[in-house]
Amino acid sequence: MDQPVVPRNQRNVRRFHRRAGMRLLVALIWCGLAAAAQNTTQQTASKPFSIPITHLLGFENAKSNCSGTLSIQDDFLQFQQNRKPGAQVKIGAVRDIFLGDESKQVGGLPMTLGKAAAPFGGGRVVSLFAHKKYDVLTLEYVDSDGGIHGAIFQLDKGQGDVVKHELTALGVISSHEDQSKHSAAEVKYENK
Amino acid sequence: MKTSKCGPLIAWVTAILVTAVVLPLQSATVKSSGSETSATGWSVQVDQVDAGTLGLSYSFQVAIYENLVDELNKTKQFQQVFREGDHRASEVPNLLVLKTTVEKYTAGSETRRAVTTVSGATKLTVRSQLLTRDGKVVLERTVNGDVRFFGSNLRATHNLARNIAKTFKESSWPDSPGPTALLSVQP
Repeated sequence: MDQPVVPRNQRNVRRFHRRAGMRLLVALIWCGLAAAAQNTTQQTASKPFSIPITHLLGFENAKSNCSGTLSIQDDFLQFQQNRKPGAQVKIGAVRDIFLGDESKQVGGLPMTLGKAAAPFGGGRVVSLFAHKKYDVLTLEYVDSDGGIHGAIFQLDKGQGDVVKHELTALGVISSHEDQSKHSAAEVKYENK
Repeated sequence: MKTSKCGPLIAWVTAILVTAVVLPLQSATVKSSGSETSATGWSVQVDQVDAGTLGLSYSFQVAIYENLVDELNKTKQFQQVFREGDHRASEVPNLLVLKTTVEKYTAGSETRRAVTTVSGATKLTVRSQLLTRDGKVVLERTVNGDVRFFGSNLRATHNLARNIAKTFKESSWPDSPGPTALLSVQP
């Protein structure tokens, strides 16, 4: 029996110190996590939503078929072409939102001309691979006179959902069912 | 005598250019009869497109509507062009309402057009009606719009709107609005 004999009182004091230390550590960790979370929330709240986008047609005072940035600032949805004054619409005026997708050939007119000039049908082979899928976002909004407008934007695949979620979170309703694909097959529809 | 190796290539390029230039022009022409007169006494309100039970994408409906407003403004045939819901339209005395109903739609594919040339065309056929406030038909036409070679699928809506505006411009009109000036329907 060569173990030191510790008085009972001293053991209780040590145990108390250990417990207090653990509680303090847990409290510190909790405070740290809470502060970090608060900081992130503040950052997301203060940072306006913004996404690169191509305006196809319809947004008032914006040029058709031009690239820019779509952002949500305060109560406004704004489309800004690079370094030019932006066109904006009040989010409350947006009545509907619809998300679809489209497969398009890449490269624009120069690529089209190049493909047409390529001999032995080389352009067709290039066309077979030179296409990309995009999200097409359609908005319906009303102007100050009550007139209905429609605006169509093109985004990279997957980005459309992000914009749609942002807008629906702000109260915009989506009454039309999203269309996953309409351009894959050559389908004929007829109203009789 | 030496034959040039470039001969077939030149012929090939010429054929492509002819296809690219002539055929879109052909598709843009619309069968229409009647003399060209102005309808400056009228204003028009463009209603949203009715796609019926067709599987026409909502973006196509919106594109047709927006292109129609643009093209009708460009023709300067109407005193004012209003959008659906615009409350200023109710104060205008001589107002026509343009109703567009999609009758046929063939969904195409830009890639298929680029690869095959002969297939993948996006085609739209609509019935356009100009009505007075009390629902009398002033003009009714069936118009086509398509994209066969170059351009995205949405280009069909632009071609369609341009054809509708062109049809209205080429149709005979009552110069001054009045109850006896209504034309017979020419489908």
